[in-house]
Amino acid sequence: MNRFKIQKFSNRLFLYGAALLLTLQASFPFFWMASTSFKPPSEVFAQPPSFIPHQVTWDNFKRLFTSTHFLIYFRNSILVSGCTVLLTMVVSAIGAYSLTRYQYPGREKIAGLILCTYMFAPIMIVIPFFILAKKIGIENTHFALVLAFTSFCLPFTLWLMRAFFKTIPIQLEEAALVDGADRIRAVIHVVLPLALPGIIATSIFTFILAWNDYIFTRILITSDELKTLPVGVQDLFHSALIDWGLIMSAGMMITIPALLFFVSIQRYLIRGWGAGAVKG
Amino acid sequence: MKEISVQKFELASIRVLNSIPNFIKRRGLDSLTKGIRREHLTGYLTILPALALILGLILYPVAYSIWLSLLEKHSFFPQERFVGLENYFYLWKDPEFWSSLKLGVIYSGWTILFQIILGVAAALILNETFIGRGLVRAIVLFPYMVPTIVAVILWKWLLNDTYGVVNYWLFALGVVKDPICWLGADHIMLSLIIMSIWQFFPFVLLSILARLQTIPPELYEAAKVDGASAIRRFIHITLPQIRGILFVVILLRSIWMFTKFDTVWLMGEGAGAGRFIRTLPVYAYMRTLTYYQAGLGAALAVIMFAILVVCTILYFGLFREEADIG
Repeated sequence: MNRFKIQKFSNRLFLYGAALLLTLQASFPFFWMASTSFKPPSEVFAQPPSFIPHQVTWDNFKRLFTSTHFLIYFRNSILVSGCTVLLTMVVSAIGAYSLTRYQYPGREKIAGLILCTYMFAPIMIVIPFFILAKKIGIENTHFALVLAFTSFCLPFTLWLMRAFFKTIPIQLEEAALVDGADRIRAVIHVVLPLALPGIIATSIFTFILAWNDYIFTRILITSDELKTLPVGVQDLFHSALIDWGLIMSAGMMITIPALLFFVSIQRYLIRGWGAGAVKG
Repeated sequence: MKEISVQKFELASIRVLNSIPNFIKRRGLDSLTKGIRREHLTGYLTILPALALILGLILYPVAYSIWLSLLEKHSFFPQERFVGLENYFYLWKDPEFWSSLKLGVIYSGWTILFQIILGVAAALILNETFIGRGLVRAIVLFPYMVPTIVAVILWKWLLNDTYGVVNYWLFALGVVKDPICWLGADHIMLSLIIMSIWQFFPFVLLSILARLQTIPPELYEAAKVDGASAIRRFIHITLPQIRGILFVVILLRSIWMFTKFDTVWLMGEGAGAGRFIRTLPVYAYMRTLTYYQAGLGAALAVIMFAILVVCTILYFGLFREEADIG
């Protein structure tokens, strides 16, 4: 009996040790970023490094907002990601409704095609996309960027919304239809309220996907005032001496919105239907 | 709340069932087929916007890149000349192409292997019950959700040869005497692989964890009563249950790691040792935007696509059983 207890105790110990290790590997790099971003330059390069800044300063953030185009990049990122979410969500909500509610020949083939395009990587699309955008003269515009983001967000949102609509019982709408409501009213009053959590979660996933993109912006955008955050921050490296305090404060400012969105959807992630909900 | 919705649901189904015969009687069979035809039309109309965007923004560009790969084309000027398969012949004899293919295979091979091992192990741990489990799950998933640029600057700073905290620790613990040049020619591939595993194993963890939660606990109870060890329980109960999702996850991760651009490119940028991690996607990008040879860049993208298609077909052939489950 005693041996059994020891065995059980060591199992617990192992479990908590492993959980602690997992937590540390994921969080330490971010902690280190936060710590560096609040240090004055002399302390950033100090040896041995201090984990908690001795001298907390907002100087890096001040410089980020005043001496770089950070706020412009930030605004661009929000604008482009927001438009991408709007476009993909409207199109994919209607499309997913079609794929789950109407019977027509070729429906499953279309669903299969969407799943296939979900696996296409940006690098395979971006080169011809860039040449085509130049041909029709929309390179270096936010419009081209929204279209490009849509190319990798849409298959993903369609697939997710389809999975989500499948969980809403079709009988509810049929009842509303029988009661004399037309299709549009049935959708607005019966389906939409039930689908809302899924629509919100999918929107946030899409926003994060667009927010994180690097390659399309790098290739399609050449004007500094049109760049989004990932590309803008990458360009901070191009000065002669790398200003790590400044770069870490920029990293903080990109991570905080991502963190807020992540907190709002993480319960969907852990739940079953979120399994297919990520890409990259 | 739940009970009410179940009641509503039942009521609704009864109403639907009762109403069907009337519906047919009233409208007659002729209008029923008309109704079906109308349903087809509405179905097509509602999927049309999505389908048009997918055709225009994905399938057309991919098809166009096949055409582009047969041209000699400058990336910025409109001139183009049809050269047939010349771009492919050029690449066949190009040592850069072969080295980028090799580096790409090394990179994706190691990262996939460790992502799967770590992802499954972490999923098993986070599937157990312990205090603070929800929080730990969220924290562990977070690196996957941040932009790649953030992941890269974090690791470049951690691995900085002079001021990096990793070298400081290794030195303080007496593991090394001289600082390791993590982003130099000798170690940059290792750094990139470690960083990529860190960034992407949460995807594996998430997919496997979602599946683990659906395994009925009774299966384990019975095995525990029989005195099966943890390893045996994993092999005989857990593994058969997660085989299907593992098949899908390995496929997706392989496709995405083999075509991974931003992590590799950003890690190599400015490090001076970028050419030691110049994988196929990076090489395709460079041909297009550093050497302005869009035709060659497109040819590289097409080759990448062809390799993926062949490997996917082989993969499905080799693991037919798992494919059926997944």
